Amino acid sequence: METCRTEGAGKHAFVADLGYSLGAVACTLKESEAAGRLNSTAADLGEAGFHTHHVCPPGVTSYDLAREAVGQVVGHAVGNFAGQGAGDAPVDAIVYSTCLPHNGSVSDLAAWEASKDVKHLMDFPASRLQADLDIGEPVVFGLNQQGCTGMLGAVRLAGALLAGEPDWERVLCVSADRFPPGARYEQSYSVISDGAAACVVSSRPGPGALRLVAAHQITNGGLHAASDDATVGTFFSYVPRLVRQTAERAGLSVGDFDWVVPQNTNQNAWLLLSRLLGIDHGRVWQSTLADVGHAISADNIINLKALLATGRVEPGQRILLVMAGHGLNWQAVVLEATEYIR
Amino acid sequence: MTGRVMVTGADGYLGRRTAARFLAGTDSRLVLTVRASDREELAVKRAGLLAALGAAADGRTEVVPADLTRDAPLAEVATTLTGIVHSAARTAFDVSRTEALRVNVDGTLRVARFAAGCDGLESFVLLSTLVSAGCRTGEITETLLDDGVECANHYEWSKGEAERRLSHEFPGLPVTIARLATIVADDESGRVTQYNAFHNTLKLFFYGLLTLMPGRPDTRLYLATADFTSRGIVHLARSGTAAGVYHLAPDGSEAVRLGEALDTVFTVFESDPSFRRRRLLRPEFCDRDSFGHLVSAARSLGASPAAGALRSVAPFAEQMFHPKLFDHTRLLADWHDAPGSSGMRLVTATCESLVRTRWGRHAPPPTPTGPEA
Repeated sequence: METCRTEGAGKHAFVADLGYSLGAVACTLKESEAAGRLNSTAADLGEAGFHTHHVCPPGVTSYDLAREAVGQVVGHAVGNFAGQGAGDAPVDAIVYSTCLPHNGSVSDLAAWEASKDVKHLMDFPASRLQADLDIGEPVVFGLNQQGCTGMLGAVRLAGALLAGEPDWERVLCVSADRFPPGARYEQSYSVISDGAAACVVSSRPGPGALRLVAAHQITNGGLHAASDDATVGTFFSYVPRLVRQTAERAGLSVGDFDWVVPQNTNQNAWLLLSRLLGIDHGRVWQSTLADVGHAISADNIINLKALLATGRVEPGQRILLVMAGHGLNWQAVVLEATEYIR
Repeated sequence: MTGRVMVTGADGYLGRRTAARFLAGTDSRLVLTVRASDREELAVKRAGLLAALGAAADGRTEVVPADLTRDAPLAEVATTLTGIVHSAARTAFDVSRTEALRVNVDGTLRVARFAAGCDGLESFVLLSTLVSAGCRTGEITETLLDDGVECANHYEWSKGEAERRLSHEFPGLPVTIARLATIVADDESGRVTQYNAFHNTLKLFFYGLLTLMPGRPDTRLYLATADFTSRGIVHLARSGTAAGVYHLAPDGSEAVRLGEALDTVFTVFESDPSFRRRRLLRPEFCDRDSFGHLVSAARSLGASPAAGALRSVAPFAEQMFHPKLFDHTRLLADWHDAPGSSGMRLVTATCESLVRTRWGRHAPPPTPTGPEA
């Protein structure tokens, strides 16, 4: 364990309080195919392991999804925090990530069109969260250039912030995306769900705490405009590199990972990757693929929550979260289960 | 060499070059068969073929229609032939078994039946392939192979089956079986005008659509040019050649190893600025099961052009797991001045050509078909 380290300085960080929300309208592949929301056929996507995905009804925004996901965790988190006597500043920072940059603002486009005043393009959801929820006066950070890897980027940044800010105790990480009306709900042959996820990264462990061991990111800007096919093709070279480099960064070997929690993508992808990496595929936890689809940056939290709910994770076990996204970006986070997960 | 030689599939990539080589290097008159569904198509193909062959063809060639999937397809050809080169075939690795049987096996037997009626026939050259050896590994000699070995695809099987049935059912014919290497370029310049699984695989790598290499790094690749191959075919078609099997390919010691070839390919790719900018990683070798998962994943990417390309090269990829050492002692004994293999230089030149032309999108200047090219 001594060889494991948190990003930044020696201060530990712990991930807990996982929450998520999905678009309220559950659609089968057949329904979305008929509605023109897919590029591929329902049959092809079904063969890839998808079945249902979730779409927001009209009028529901990504911010609404974020608020629902955060609402699941903040009360719990505040309770934990208050119990440890940390005063009246339950959250020190919010890191709010979106895959689609437009979800990083809850702008009033009509007001912008009428006034041509750019302030209407800068109504930031993280600020709204601070105001809407009773979580103190956290400062806010926005991430919107990491594609689907944004949530893992948020966790990494949270760990670094806690390491760099001695007085900070808690960072709320949020990811929220809703596809614009009329969008096709398929990217790189994955069926998309509107969704949000939240978790809290703390400097002290609490119930359900997973220690943040390491985080790693690769960005290849040369593929910033990669086609769907190139995105899929490079997945099989960059993800193995990411996993191996992440293990090395954590002072571990790939075989030291007890669980792998990836994004929801073609079920054959991790059959192949697990063989390449020498990982037991039975330890790859992608259990929500059929029912959730690819909820953009929320997948890791959703699958992690499902894994923890099984009770199969033991203290001391290491969990690798992996995500690929546009940019192209690949990110991974290594967590270690603490005694608090019991 | 004199006489009257028939080349089937003469409008195909190799058939055309073989005809050109006959015209340039022998005094033979040629009967060139092409598949044409009607007079109009025949006229178009005849004009195209004669234009490609140039002045050398004047007065020495006749172009006749022949659909080898039909009975008595060569009824229009006089039986005064001295030689036959049977080049017509379906060569796609993803050909169905039914189609492979119909064209490559039954078609060959129809030509053989016709050949049996040619009293003056001195040579019947069947163009086959090294991979008619199927999934055998280790040393492969220049002999007929039994059919007890699994094949990676129906194309391989059909060529092996054609070899066997031709030899067994027509023992009186002067049969020469030329097993060809993978033709990757027209000539040593690396120019490519016919694309196959080799080129398509490299294209997938170049554009980042495939990032894993199925196979073993030590598997040998037997690569050749169309120029070398057509020279060899004409040499084997001469009357003095002993019947039997010949590996018209580099020697095992000259064949390039897959791992080294891939390094060379990526070295060429990386000299291209747009490729460098994309920072694609050199592919990792993967085992059969892993590649199988990739192909399975591709099956569910129905709309993907890359997946379609991957599915088309997958039947060929299987051979990369079955390293072979082809002997060509018989070839060298018969063809003393056979040009040596340029091995990795050919890989480099071909790859440079592919990158420069972006797999034919930026076409190189047209060049004549003939051996002078």
